Formats: sequence, structure tokens, C-alpha cells
Amino acid sequence: MSGFWRLVLFGKGPREAASPGRDLRIDVIRGLILLVIFINHMPGNIVASAMPHNYGFSDAADVFVLLAGISAAFAYGRLIDQRGLLVGSLKVGARIWTLYIAHLALFVLVCGIVATAVVRTQNALYVEAINIQPFFSDTQAAIVNALGLVYQPYYLDILPLYIVLLALFPLIYIAARTSPFATLLVSFAIWQGATHAGLNLPNHPGEGGWFFNPFAWQMVFTLGVVIGRLGIVGAALPKLVLVDLAAAAVILFAVVVKLSSGNPFGIALLNDWIESLQIGIDKTNLAWVRVVHLFAMTWLVLRFLKPGASLLKGVVGRRLASLGRHSLEVFCAGIVLAITGQIILAETSFALLMQLIVNLAGITILIGLGTFLSWYKSLTARAASAPREQAATA
Amino acid sequence: MILGSALPAFAGPKPLTQMVDGRCRAGAAQHPFKPSLSAAKRALTETNKLTIVALGSSSTAGTGASDADRSYPAVLEAELRRRLPGREIKVLNLGVGGQSAYEMYLRLESEVIPEKPALVIWQTAVNDAIRDIGEEKLAKILRKGAHKLQEAGIDLVLMDMPWLLREGRYPKYDDYRAVLAKTASESGVSVFPRYAMMKSWSGSKQFSEEEIVGMDGLQVVEASYRCFGIRLADGIVSELTGGREPVKPVN
Repeated sequence: MSGFWRLVLFGKGPREAASPGRDLRIDVIRGLILLVIFINHMPGNIVASAMPHNYGFSDAADVFVLLAGISAAFAYGRLIDQRGLLVGSLKVGARIWTLYIAHLALFVLVCGIVATAVVRTQNALYVEAINIQPFFSDTQAAIVNALGLVYQPYYLDILPLYIVLLALFPLIYIAARTSPFATLLVSFAIWQGATHAGLNLPNHPGEGGWFFNPFAWQMVFTLGVVIGRLGIVGAALPKLVLVDLAAAAVILFAVVVKLSSGNPFGIALLNDWIESLQIGIDKTNLAWVRVVHLFAMTWLVLRFLKPGASLLKGVVGRRLASLGRHSLEVFCAGIVLAITGQIILAETSFALLMQLIVNLAGITILIGLGTFLSWYKSLTARAASAPREQAATA
Repeated sequence: MILGSALPAFAGPKPLTQMVDGRCRAGAAQHPFKPSLSAAKRALTETNKLTIVALGSSSTAGTGASDADRSYPAVLEAELRRRLPGREIKVLNLGVGGQSAYEMYLRLESEVIPEKPALVIWQTAVNDAIRDIGEEKLAKILRKGAHKLQEAGIDLVLMDMPWLLREGRYPKYDDYRAVLAKTASESGVSVFPRYAMMKSWSGSKQFSEEEIVGMDGLQVVEASYRCFGIRLADGIVSELTGGREPVKPVN
């Protein structure tokens, strides 16, 4: 049995981990995904029609959650390895608190923007567009529910998911350290079990559940944690050409299905299935095809995009990486910009030039924010180390 | 006798309500609503029961109404019970604000069909139009939804999209309305002419603009909810009774 499969089955102890540096692929891809999410959150705009969800079964959200799992393994998993479960969990707890506060701030900002827009423009559909009616029709209940994460307007549903997943992280990580394979198996079972039993956390008012059902989406996150863990112990992906070909075939199949208007294969038996893939792919409970598509993409990226690839180190790669490194700030800013952008687009009747300006302006602001935060961080890091250096030289 | 015992319950409608109900029918001849209701008729003859599911987004959920019993499904239920006395009538409100046609399509299997309704009133497409999901995609979703309900032996009425004060904000709005109308006629589904009703009210001076398109966070306000309920009840009752019972209730 090769080293890779042994690691997948039996894991590796905490002290045996290799310690690779920061994986540039995570930052760059996450930066790219943040821009895609910003653009997609202004539906009906021309740039959004060129985004990946038009060509594949999975979309930016799937990749975002997968990367959250991978980077949590690198950030908090290594801490658990080095300092123990308690210290690692406390750090995770601190991060969850930050996420919670960010979520609440975002909630208030979004309500404020929409309220202002509706009063100024008299277009009540802005309220409908992000499902924020409950906030205006029953404010008291909505606020209490928002605090408990059981009222989630559109776009304000990813952070609550991330909070829940991160809370589970120490458990998932310890399991992944023992046996990645068994961890994935249990995670799959929970996903499928919850889907069939209709298990979800509540989203009030009404009988609905979370748009991102945590019982389903923990699977993508767990996959990310396992990938991160295998990366930490330096497992090298085996060269399996058949899997490469299968993954490429899945992606090609998705492109063909999504770009065709009817059934492109001419097999009548498939008509119904193809059509069901074209009208939408269940996101709440993660349809199978979504997961298979995500697996295929992940496999190909891990196989063919090396951490040191020059693609990642160029100008574009560096800018994207600076976005990816500050994903919480950029994500929140992206939501505020996208909702403002939606309103501007409707008020200007989706004029083409305006669409391009709004996209360009938003992307510029987000990249500017990422660059600024990187600069600021290096500045404060230098300031923090300065006194110590002085003390050492004195 | 049955009528007699039921009478006191609706003996004295409030004058205001009466006035509103009258103006709901303004211009009804120009935009008639004559649903085909074979399953509902059968259910009523065989079981004396009529269960209706109202599936939709915020204007079904009743957003903006002062109380849950002012949503259109609640008005419809009260009107049907009043006009079809002695029958067991239930209108379930499955409206969820902001939902897209696809999200509702997924709920057909899990939430709508298990209620075993004889009729589903599906109010949708507005969120798909403002998000511009693609006209072909919307057509497919509606067609599959209609097909699913037909297979389950359930009647379907599609509710037209709302009339908007400034439609130009969404340049493809009319195209999406056309998709809804075309898909409905191809699938043999009746359309409840909400758009036409609202548009004619807007010109009739019987309603203020704010009564039709509320602005402080509400899409359609109580007066129009009430009218949707009344006009739906008109069409349903007249189809079920073959016009034998008076459409206009004797007050």
C-alpha cells in the first residue's frame, strides 16, 4: 500500500506532521472566488452570466466552503497539533465570536441599505430581492431570530453556516487525524441521512430551513479539513490517470449540459434527467451531481496546479492572494457592495455601460481593500516586532 | 337550512369591506378568470372537501398585511367557506418571501403534494424576473412543475406577476410575463390575471397607488390582497357550481 492510501486510512499522529508553509493556492483561489461571489450577488448583470455556475454543477459557494475547511486545518489544526486541543479550541472560539459580530454588523448594514433604498425609490421589490421582509413586518421577532441565527435573509446565510462548521472543527480535525477515510464516511452518512430525513436547522418565519443546510454542507467542509490534514502531513496525491480522465469527463459533461438548451446526447431516456440538471441543482441539501463536480475540480487542481506555479505568483495571483488572505473582511464588503450594486443597476434599468462600471468599481474596491489590509498587517506586524528588536540590540 | 344556520356568521359585513369588494370587480370583464377545475370538482362531489394550497413568495405569505388573516389565501378561505356552506374547505398558505420558482418547484414534492390538495395556486416568477434567471430556464421549471401536479391529479392555477409602478427597472419584466403566459397555455393551466387587475386599478382612481403597490417594505397591501382573494373565489365558485350559485353573495 502506498503512503498516500495508508495516510487516508490511518492518519498520522500530531507530532509526526510535516510543516509546510502557507499554500498559495488557497489564497489565490479564495481571492478569485470572493470576486465571483460579489459578481453573482448582482443577478441579472452581464458579467454574472459568464461566471462558473453557468458552466458547472457546483458553484462558488461549494469552493468557498471547501477552502474554509482546508484553511481551518492549516490555521487551527496545526495549532491543535502543537499546543493541544484546548488551546486550539479556544482560538477557534475567538474566531467564531469575530464571525458572529461580523454577521450581525452585516445584517444591520444590509437592512439599513435596503430600507434607505425602498424609501427613496419606492420600489418595494428591493425588500423581496433579499428576503428581508420579516425584518420590516415583525422587527422584534426578526432581531431575536437574527441573533440566534435562525432568521437569515439571502446573502446572510453563508456566515452562519461557517460559524456552525467552525464550531465542529476541533471534533472533525481530531477525527481526520485518526482516520481521514472513516471521517469522510461518517460525514457522508450524516449528509445523506439528514437529506432523507429532512433534517435542517430552522429559518423563521415559516417552516423553511437554512438555505445552506449544515447537516449537508458539513460534508464539503469535512472534505476540506481532510485535504488540509493530508497536506499538513505531506501526503502526495497518487498519479491516477484514470481518475484524471474521469474528472475531466465530469467537468466536460457539466459544460455541455449547462450550455445546451435541450438534451445534447439524443438519448431519450436521459431527457428528464438532463432537463432537471438544467433548471437547477439543489443547493440546500447538496445534490449528488454538485458534489461529484466539486470532487472532480478539486482532484484536477490538486493534481495539476502546483503550490509554486508561476500562475500564482504573477501580478494577478498576488492581488487575488491579498484578497484571499482577508476573506472575512472582503466577503462582508462584497455583500454590502453587491446589494448597493443591485439597487444601482435596477435604478439605471440595467444599462450596459452602468453594469460594467458597477462591476469594475466593485472589483477595484475589493482588490484595494485586500491590498490595503495586507499592507496594514505588515505595518502593524513590523511595529509590534520593533520594540523587541530594539530591546535585543540595546 | 344549511344556509340559514350559516347566515348569522356573515350577516353584517362591514360597510368598508363591502365597498372594497365591489371595486375588486372593476374591469373584471376585460380580464376574466375562468379556471378549469376538474380535480377540485371531483373532490367536492366525492368527499365534500376542498383543499387548496397557495404556493408563492411574499404576496402569498401576506407580507405587509397587518395580520395573518389578511393575506390573500386567508381571504380566499373565508370567502369560499362563506359561499360554499356545508363544505369542508381549507386553504393552506405555503408562501415564503423571496423564493424563486425553482425553490418552490422543489417544494412541490416535499411540501405541496403531501397535503393532498385538489388545487394549487402557484404565485411565482417575479423573483426570477428581477434576478433574470433565463427565460428558457423559467419555462422549463414551470412546465415541469405543472406536469408534476398533473401527474398527481391536482388542478393548477398560475398567478400572473404583479404590476409594478416603474417596470423599466427590470427591462425583461414583460418577457418573463410572456414566458409565464405561454407556458401556462401550453400546459393547459389557467392564469389568474393579477397584472391586468392591478394595472386597471391603477388607472381607475378607485385605489390609490399606495394601496396597490405599497412602498414601506410591502409589496402589495391589504386592499389588493383582499381583492385577489375575492376574485379568486369568484372564479373558483362559479366554475365549481357551474354558475348555479350566485357569484355575488347576497348580503
